[in-house]
Amino acid sequence: MRKLSLLILLGLLTMVMAAGASAQDFSGQTVVVVTQTGSAIGGPVLDKGPIWEEATGGNIELQTFAFGELFEKIVTALSTGSGDYDVLIYAADWAGDIMAPGYVMAIPQETLNAIESDDVIPLYADRITTWGGVPYALPYDGDAHMLYYRKDLVDNEMYAADFEAAYGYALGEPSTWTQYRDIAEFFNGMEVDTAGSMAPIYGALEAQRRNAQSYWVYLSRAAGYGKVPGNPCFFFSCDDMTPQVNNPGWVRALEEYIDIRNVGDPEMINYDVADTRTLMATGTAVLNLDWGDVGTISVDENVSLVKGAVGFGVLPGGDSYWDYEAGEWVMEENPAPFIAFGGWIISIASDSDVTEAALDFASFLASKDVVNELAVTGGTGINPSRFSQLADTAPWVAAGFDEESAADYLDAIQNTINHPNAVLDIRITGSAEYLSTLDAEIARALAGEISAQEALDNVAELWNAITDRLGRDAQAEQYRAAVGYMGDM
Amino acid sequence: MPKPRRKRLLPRSSRRPLWQSAILYLIVIVWCFIVLFPFYWLVTTSVKRPIDVSRGPNYIPYVDFDPIPDHWQEMFGSQRESTLRHFRNSLIAAAGSTLLSVIIGAMAGYGLSRFRYYWGRLGWDNDNIAFWIISQRFLPPAIFIVPFVLLYNQFGLIDTYAGLILAYTMFNIPFAVWIMRDFFNGLPIDLEESARVDGATRWQAFYRIVLPLSAPGLVVVAIFSFIFAWNEYLFALMLSNFNAITMPVLIAGQNNTRGIEWWFISALTLTAVAPVIIIGLLLERFITRGLTAGAIKG
Amino acid sequence: MQSISTVREDRLMKRVFLSPAVVILFALSVFPLIWSLGISFTDMQRGGSTIARQAEAEGITEGVGFLGMGFELTGRNYQRLIGDTRLHSTVRNTMIYVFFGVTIQYVVGLGLATVLNQPFHGRNLVRVIFLMPMMITPVAAAYTGRMFFDSNALRSPLAHFLRQLSKTLQLEQTILVPWFTDINWAPIAILLIDAWQWIPFMTLILLAGMQSIPEDIYEAARVDGANILQIFWRITLPILFPISMTVILIRGLEIFKIIDVIVVTTGGGPGSATESLTLYIFEQALSNGNYGYASAIAYILLILVIIFASVFLAVGRRWSSSWER
Repeated sequence: MRKLSLLILLGLLTMVMAAGASAQDFSGQTVVVVTQTGSAIGGPVLDKGPIWEEATGGNIELQTFAFGELFEKIVTALSTGSGDYDVLIYAADWAGDIMAPGYVMAIPQETLNAIESDDVIPLYADRITTWGGVPYALPYDGDAHMLYYRKDLVDNEMYAADFEAAYGYALGEPSTWTQYRDIAEFFNGMEVDTAGSMAPIYGALEAQRRNAQSYWVYLSRAAGYGKVPGNPCFFFSCDDMTPQVNNPGWVRALEEYIDIRNVGDPEMINYDVADTRTLMATGTAVLNLDWGDVGTISVDENVSLVKGAVGFGVLPGGDSYWDYEAGEWVMEENPAPFIAFGGWIISIASDSDVTEAALDFASFLASKDVVNELAVTGGTGINPSRFSQLADTAPWVAAGFDEESAADYLDAIQNTINHPNAVLDIRITGSAEYLSTLDAEIARALAGEISAQEALDNVAELWNAITDRLGRDAQAEQYRAAVGYMGDM
Repeated sequence: MPKPRRKRLLPRSSRRPLWQSAILYLIVIVWCFIVLFPFYWLVTTSVKRPIDVSRGPNYIPYVDFDPIPDHWQEMFGSQRESTLRHFRNSLIAAAGSTLLSVIIGAMAGYGLSRFRYYWGRLGWDNDNIAFWIISQRFLPPAIFIVPFVLLYNQFGLIDTYAGLILAYTMFNIPFAVWIMRDFFNGLPIDLEESARVDGATRWQAFYRIVLPLSAPGLVVVAIFSFIFAWNEYLFALMLSNFNAITMPVLIAGQNNTRGIEWWFISALTLTAVAPVIIIGLLLERFITRGLTAGAIKG
Repeated sequence: MQSISTVREDRLMKRVFLSPAVVILFALSVFPLIWSLGISFTDMQRGGSTIARQAEAEGITEGVGFLGMGFELTGRNYQRLIGDTRLHSTVRNTMIYVFFGVTIQYVVGLGLATVLNQPFHGRNLVRVIFLMPMMITPVAAAYTGRMFFDSNALRSPLAHFLRQLSKTLQLEQTILVPWFTDINWAPIAILLIDAWQWIPFMTLILLAGMQSIPEDIYEAARVDGANILQIFWRITLPILFPISMTVILIRGLEIFKIIDVIVVTTGGGPGSATESLTLYIFEQALSNGNYGYASAIAYILLILVIIFASVFLAVGRRWSSSWER
């Protein structure tokens, strides 16, 4: 405990000194930061803001919106040129609607140097913060979906024999969605020990709430069945932007996403990722998929009952996948981790009248010291995005992980982002609209209004309409660039 | 409310059988409970520890949970700037549009009550004009979303007090005109005429004699305009970003991805409804009057 | 009596009095209304129209689109309405809200008004209490509703009450209503929140209407030997008819606008079970930036509102005239 507080003190001290050293005078200038509501992502602005204010004399104001309103607010404010927001902290996949029209300013090289951008994993540094080769944002967060499971149950001798007898293979970290479902089914409703008390547990816990980013969870499932190894084009075929969203692989994924409620928390249709995260930490379910947050939340003794009992892994894959070019199922295991979302990034609005102060604050917030501290703190929503965060388990152990869990956690992250078959998200103009139509239609399928096939057929039709409206050729070009497609492979 | 009738009603109540009285009071009490309990729940939730909210339900402070002031302190402590900014903006937008609505509504109401208009091209007389004005109140606001964003963008009105005040005034004018016209219709014309004979101009007669007499009507209009503007969500969300953003947007924005903080929302909600509730309690008779005038004569 | 100057002054003053209201309504209501009809026939979207985007990509800057104004005239938005299944479900949901919302609120409101019309102690206090829900912002009412319609008995007093009730009645199964998670219950939860807020409005107005009925009429009926029910059906209801029509019309038109409660409680879900037209228009316009299509949907909403109001007024007039006979 003493060691920890010393570490924090030391960290704070260096930060104050670092900030003090580069301090420019921004007295009388107010920087308005806009991001989502709550302690995740926005919280650090409130916590760290005063340090910057002290050093520069500037003033930080935070404006927050619910995630469902955030895109609309940012884009409307920027497109009307009202100049209300100076610093934007937003989802990386909105780049096509924010960077492409030039609403945000290019980041100067000095700033990139100041935040030591060569320490940032290239996936996050180059791919999600640039548009057309120009950096428009600072990396802040690194996001990829991962698997979480109760290792005290899944790796437990007590259940191994029963499981093997029932399913014919050994119980362990699931590598396919079929195994994932089997494990969920096996444990669902079973009385197990959580933090010393026996209670029935749910098999799986997945976010399914509408208008709350749940589509990422679905996409993570679709990746395993719909991603063709060696072909980076996943959402659309790269030659003519034909949506793949209603092909048999995607449909199967949606059917299984709907079905998981039968072996999991029946209320999950009303949960968003925040709910599932908190519930996972309170030990109500065996399996969960989420960004890196469950890791840090699960070791926070104030909220977690499962400290040290959570295992981390790469997302399961399909036990087979649909090859859309050949038009057939390929009976091969297909791990395809989805780099969902890509992370929150920081940009400076072009119409800001305090660009210098804004840039200074942004680079302070994205600096190595601050981000590294946030990444190991539960509830900040900031996940690893830098080599220095993955290189060393020490800060993670200091933050409450045990050595084994820390290594396991960092492994899972590294294996995900370095995976050769990783799926990259839609990073083209209109991505928010593509995804919101997907969200609405899968919500209808989840609620049982329409079948999975019908829902995804609707999505395909709507995606085609969006593509046509935005210009099919231009969209295809953007998508090819986004996934790094080089013509026939 | 017509007072004299109570005298006639009361003796009848004594004729009422006991069981009827019992049912009557039961229904009244049950409904008051339905109305009041949510408010009670907001108050208690705002002083509960998070664990008392999620592992409850706990009903009575000091009996099944220990109240804490933390959430209120947070709202007026670390969140102070944000809370006050939204509150102040709501106040400015509501007060501004109330003032404008009262003035413009009173003028138009007076005009429609005392002059004869005839819009030749449309063939409209006073009644048609009044009906057209009130009908504006019922247009679905959704139809204004796109043109307002474009229009406000053009004139730099987005995220300004002026923008919100104008929009709310537009929504409030129909009701204001309707109520004021009604009110002036019921006001004897003699006083004004004698003032005019004494040499006062129309405007002086309106300003010095008619307006003071119509204070109750103005109060009704003011209350309703204020409450509407204070509570409005859609246009506030659409037209304000930071400088002019209002309370309802702040509250609706609490839908966050870290689980909903009910305790904090309760405190916030109470802060937002306090002004209108206080207005309501103090000026109840005006509100009832406005409601009935709006509907019964409408 | 009036001199020429006062006549001229009157003519001027007459304009001065009415103009501000008319100018504001023309600028902010009539003009946007016509404008959005125009927009609904274009391919306008955030950041320019499709055709302007294409032109920009090809480096053309001038003379693009209809009369060089950078957009194209098209009927596509209206064609798209026909195949948009999400739109159809929002239309259906909105009609459900209006129809059932008005019905619940009117029936309960009328019942309460009848009760309150009896003299009792504390009537003034009750009237004050009744005003409270309708004065708070719908956003707040929605959050409060969400706390109550949470189906977790550890959090929600309502779920807790239902659980205790099932225990007391020794039911086999605990009553558990999936308020916001089931596509059939979610609209009901929203209807109930709206009802909680607006039943008092119905009550107060109907009560005022009842109190304006002269006692003599009742007296006369009683002398003729009419019982309570007959009096209610034959006298109270017909006299209240015009007021009833008005309040139902007002509430109906208000419910057409519903959005805040839905945004806060379900966001339109589960599925699209609770999505209203206003919410859908808002999303199309501001999240997706489809100005043209959003305007076309908005006109559908306007047409529905006009149909509702006209049918209502026509039927109301006919009924009231038949009653008079």
